[in-house]
Amino acid sequence: MDDPLIVVVLLLVAATATAAVAVRDPVRQALVLSVLGVALALLFTVAQAPDVGLSQLAVGSALTPLLVMLSVRKVRRRQGDGKGRAP
Amino acid sequence: MNGWTLTATVALGAGVGATVWGVATGPLRRRVVAQNLSSALACPGLLLLAQGYGRPAYIDLALVLALLGPVGTLVFARLLADDLAEDPPHAWGVTFAVAGYGAVVVLVLCAVTGPGRAMVKLLVIGALLIGGNLVASRALSGGFARSRRG
Repeated sequence: MDDPLIVVVLLLVAATATAAVAVRDPVRQALVLSVLGVALALLFTVAQAPDVGLSQLAVGSALTPLLVMLSVRKVRRRQGDGKGRAP
Repeated sequence: MNGWTLTATVALGAGVGATVWGVATGPLRRRVVAQNLSSALACPGLLLLAQGYGRPAYIDLALVLALLGPVGTLVFARLLADDLAEDPPHAWGVTFAVAGYGAVVVLVLCAVTGPGRAMVKLLVIGALLIGGNLVASRALSGGFARSRRG
């Protein structure tokens, strides 16, 4: 019944997911992942599954980027320590 | 397909499409601004969808997004503070344009809903959306850095 809307949101999800794969830097990937979470929540809403959309919003927009960014930070700090000790 | 879902289609396609382009290309400062604006643009779209489908329960999605979108941006602002300090983003024009769009959508929906609990909920969502968006933009441009150090 709402075909154009579903097509538009599906295209958004496809474009964002492709961008998340194509971007190489983990920090920038976390940014794209955050937008992908919002786009997926939109898709679930348009597909009349707002409960799934709610949990997707909670996980995708804040938690996943936080985990990725914390891991990147820890790895970078460890690399910085290694460089500091090497010479 | 009614006027509300048609408006939502156009707004989501143009707005979130533009933020996807912004977050996938360009320097880091443009990407964080685009990530901030993606939640600020999707939230009015969800409100329009709730009105278009005639299901007031879908407004909860917009409420959660208005709460958690700025939180996600603040995570990036905090953890990318060193990278952003050399090249801070300044995109107040776009930010205020998006905040105005959210305000217009909320006010139109309030006028349609009429007074009552639903209208109060819409106003709360609008205040959270615009306030959170402005706070997150200020954090991204380094506005809180001085107070944090001092």
